[in-house]
Amino acid sequence: MAYPMQLGFQDATSPIMEELLHFHDHTLMIVFLISSLVLYIISLMLTTKLTHTSTMNAQEVETIWTILPAIILILIALPSLRILYMMDEINNPSLTVKTMGHQWYWSYEYTDYEDLSFDSYMIPTSELKPGELRLLEVDNRVVLPMETTIRMLVSSEDVLHSWAVPSLGLKTDAIPGRLNQTTLMSSRPGLYYGQCSEICGSNHSFMPIVLELVPLKYFEKWSASML
Amino acid sequence: QCGRPRFDPWVGKILWRRKWHGRRSIPFKLLGILDVENIPCARDSVLYGSLGSVVAGLGHFLLTSRIRRSCDVGVGGFIVVTLGCWFHCRYNYAKLRIQERLAREGIKNKILYESTHLDPARKQTNGGSSSS
Repeated sequence: MAYPMQLGFQDATSPIMEELLHFHDHTLMIVFLISSLVLYIISLMLTTKLTHTSTMNAQEVETIWTILPAIILILIALPSLRILYMMDEINNPSLTVKTMGHQWYWSYEYTDYEDLSFDSYMIPTSELKPGELRLLEVDNRVVLPMETTIRMLVSSEDVLHSWAVPSLGLKTDAIPGRLNQTTLMSSRPGLYYGQCSEICGSNHSFMPIVLELVPLKYFEKWSASML
Repeated sequence: QCGRPRFDPWVGKILWRRKWHGRRSIPFKLLGILDVENIPCARDSVLYGSLGSVVAGLGHFLLTSRIRRSCDVGVGGFIVVTLGCWFHCRYNYAKLRIQERLAREGIKNKILYESTHLDPARKQTNGGSSSS
């Protein structure tokens, strides 16, 4: 989950998010070097007494500052495209869960085997128990098996919402009349928090998502208890 | 656990310092963006780059006695060496991650399927004995 004064990403829980973190590191290093170079050039410009007001041509430097950025962009684009296609790979999900956005809560349906559906409302601040997280806890968490590929079908009953879980690298728009699909695979058990990511009204900030990833046998016990 | 606000006279503003899960909440970032503490290979690349910058700049100055051009060579050396170390280290890191994943899956399969017909060790032994 997020922590106060956070600037970077949350720790990765899925292989895709790990890849995204590494791509971010790679791009950030390139940005850091370009920023260093620009700062150095600015300091040079500010500390020179030389001026040149009659430049007619500058073929060499123009060649360099065309070719070099092209190379840098290729170095960024290739890993980016690789991850883009990786995110769309077909990976045979074992379970399908539908999530519907409402104003202002999420509802979930597990209909692969039996008819299991429930709503997930945020727990108001006044009803939180000690140690629980403000604006993040819900009454019914989405319990899912870990290390299993899960298909999430996301849609909405009213206005636009967005189902997002940052530590899994997921963000899928919930559009009324449209079914969007994303796949989820967690490498480890735990609680993973997210929040609605598309403005949807007055309580847009108060419809969080909590995934509880557990070993398969606990998931089976939970689903049996919910029926 | 909340920390109390601390007034830092050097910065001139109130800084909140919080301990969150036993780690510092604000890691050190070069130019405010590059987290050299937590990004794999970042610290080594920047250190090697700095060393390369000093060597290149100093070497150029000793050869030519031109200060400004030596500084330019130093900065260029920093960028080239940092990038080179970065790509080399990240490539090896990626190979290591793949090996770790294969080892982890191999151990998991071994534990799950030991003494069953799916045991990877049993398949290899059967393959070896049938060929002899």
